[in-house]
Amino acid sequence: MRPGSLVLDGLAKRYGPVVAVQGVSIEVARGEFLGLLGPSGCGKTTTLQMIAGFETPSEGRILLDGQDLASTPPAKRGIGLVFQSYALFPHMTAAENVAFGLEMRRVPKAERMRRVAEALDLVHLSHLADRFPRNMSGGQQQRVALARALVIEPQLLLLDEPLSNLDAKLREEMQVELRELQRRVGVTTILVTHDQQEAMALCDRVAVMQAGRVVQVDEPWRAYELPADSFVADFLGRSNWLPARAGGGEAEVAGRRFALPPELAGSEGEVMLTIRPERLRIGAEGAGSLPGRVHSRVFLGASWLYRVDTAIGPMMVTAQNTGAPPVEEGAPVSLSWDSHSLRRLEAA
Amino acid sequence: MSAGRASPALLAAPSGLVYLLALLIPLASVLLLSLQGFDFSRGILPRYDLANYADLFTDPLFEEALGRTFRIAFVTTVICLLIGVPEAWIIRRMSSRWRGLMLLLVVGPLLVSVVVRTFGWMVLLGTNGLINGALVALGVPDAPFRMMFTEFAVILGLVHVMVPLVVLAVWASLGRLDPALPRAAESLGAGRLTIFRRVILPNIMPGVLGGALMVFCLSASAFATPAMLGGRRLKVVSSMAYNEFLNTLNWPLGAAIATLLLAAILAATLLWTRFVERRALRRLGGA
Repeated sequence: MRPGSLVLDGLAKRYGPVVAVQGVSIEVARGEFLGLLGPSGCGKTTTLQMIAGFETPSEGRILLDGQDLASTPPAKRGIGLVFQSYALFPHMTAAENVAFGLEMRRVPKAERMRRVAEALDLVHLSHLADRFPRNMSGGQQQRVALARALVIEPQLLLLDEPLSNLDAKLREEMQVELRELQRRVGVTTILVTHDQQEAMALCDRVAVMQAGRVVQVDEPWRAYELPADSFVADFLGRSNWLPARAGGGEAEVAGRRFALPPELAGSEGEVMLTIRPERLRIGAEGAGSLPGRVHSRVFLGASWLYRVDTAIGPMMVTAQNTGAPPVEEGAPVSLSWDSHSLRRLEAA
Repeated sequence: MSAGRASPALLAAPSGLVYLLALLIPLASVLLLSLQGFDFSRGILPRYDLANYADLFTDPLFEEALGRTFRIAFVTTVICLLIGVPEAWIIRRMSSRWRGLMLLLVVGPLLVSVVVRTFGWMVLLGTNGLINGALVALGVPDAPFRMMFTEFAVILGLVHVMVPLVVLAVWASLGRLDPALPRAAESLGAGRLTIFRRVILPNIMPGVLGGALMVFCLSASAFATPAMLGGRRLKVVSSMAYNEFLNTLNWPLGAAIATLLLAAILAATLLWTRFVERRALRRLGGA
């Protein structure tokens, strides 16, 4: 199996006056796992359909290993696809489903059977080879779909919201497995998802899309730490917004002054600062920089999520569950932070 | 519920009553009638035996009509499947703007009265009809052809009205398919025909087989179309029964013919579900 590199060059798709995708340029290296991430209607699925060949781009090029795919029909692209619904053939057993792509390639029977067995083994489903999809769980069907897409040794694997039909626990397990499988097989992979947690857990890089455009392409932790704009900041996890007046290396929020990090020291005038909920510390009244009152709290198992009402509006705070009793609802508290956790963004 | 066990039976009673009055009692009286005798001067005779059936089984005319009825029904069914199944799939793949219009066109024949529809065919197929007129004008050798009052005309007329039934039955099956299936097959390297044959067709078999059964039963028991396009000479079983009832006035014999037709269609249906449908649907998880 030889993974391919993929180049999307100025890709655009218009339906009449409606612009679905515009100016999408991304380079995906051999063996890379890229996430196309965005809310519904952002153009990520349309982009995937264009790569697969089911939609014709209005503009731009798609190069797979340097070769323009424009004139190649979907059946000849050799791209493995896993659909949100899995789209397993209901009248075929797991093994027959996996064998289908090899039959289309006229692979001789003996080799076909060997490769089907290998592919099913890869996804730990050898024992269910003769079972029909209707008698399999969602997770098992998902694996058959993966095996079916991988057995044709595609240069590129496209995953369209592959885990969204699974329940939460199974989804986490499949994330780990999918990541490990992709590493082992080494196939260049593009995952389309609206789930930022899933994209960050699985992908080498994420491309965050909004309204048909790519806003940021970066490693997940970078995109999370240094979001390009307020949309990315909000979409990748939660953000708190602090309207501040900056000057002389300091900022003033709700009448209290505090230090700005070195990279923001030059800021002057009205600025919008953001900070992640897990970077805020909740402390006793008067101890920190920003006084407030606990409005509500949610127990998440590993952590607590507090909503604290302050003079500049509600702030979300995540605090690790250390086993100590949580702060009561209605209690007066004070929020503090390290100055290097602050980011400056243009408000959306 | 305090009504307990009696309530399901009670709830089903109104429909059961309608079923009894509208179907079972008339059927039973036809069956009873078929056992009675008939005399031209005295009318229906008050005796009960199997004489009518014995007559029919030795009547070459009846055997011919029975054979013709099932031949016509069979050929009509095959042609309807060959046209209707691909037609449904093609319409399914059209853009939604055309889909509704095409479906309306397909259902069209069902909306036209059988008499009007069949007269239309008579105008087209007659010796001096449109088709023969055109063939003669074009100088086709041997034209005009004899098309009216042939099995060809009957089958044509039946296919015309039965194709929509196959399309609708298959349409319902197509609606239950995952719309991603054809794309999945395509991404694996399948061409259009392969997708239809290997992926779509096996999954719409319930609709195909159901449609086939419907067309077969309706064609075998059709009366107006064979009577008008087949004429007096080309008898099918239902037109024979009609003849006995309304021309000869031998009601008991007509009832016997009707009973035999019903029994034959019932037998064909049972054989079909037993040997064809069950086998074909086993892969789809029970029929």
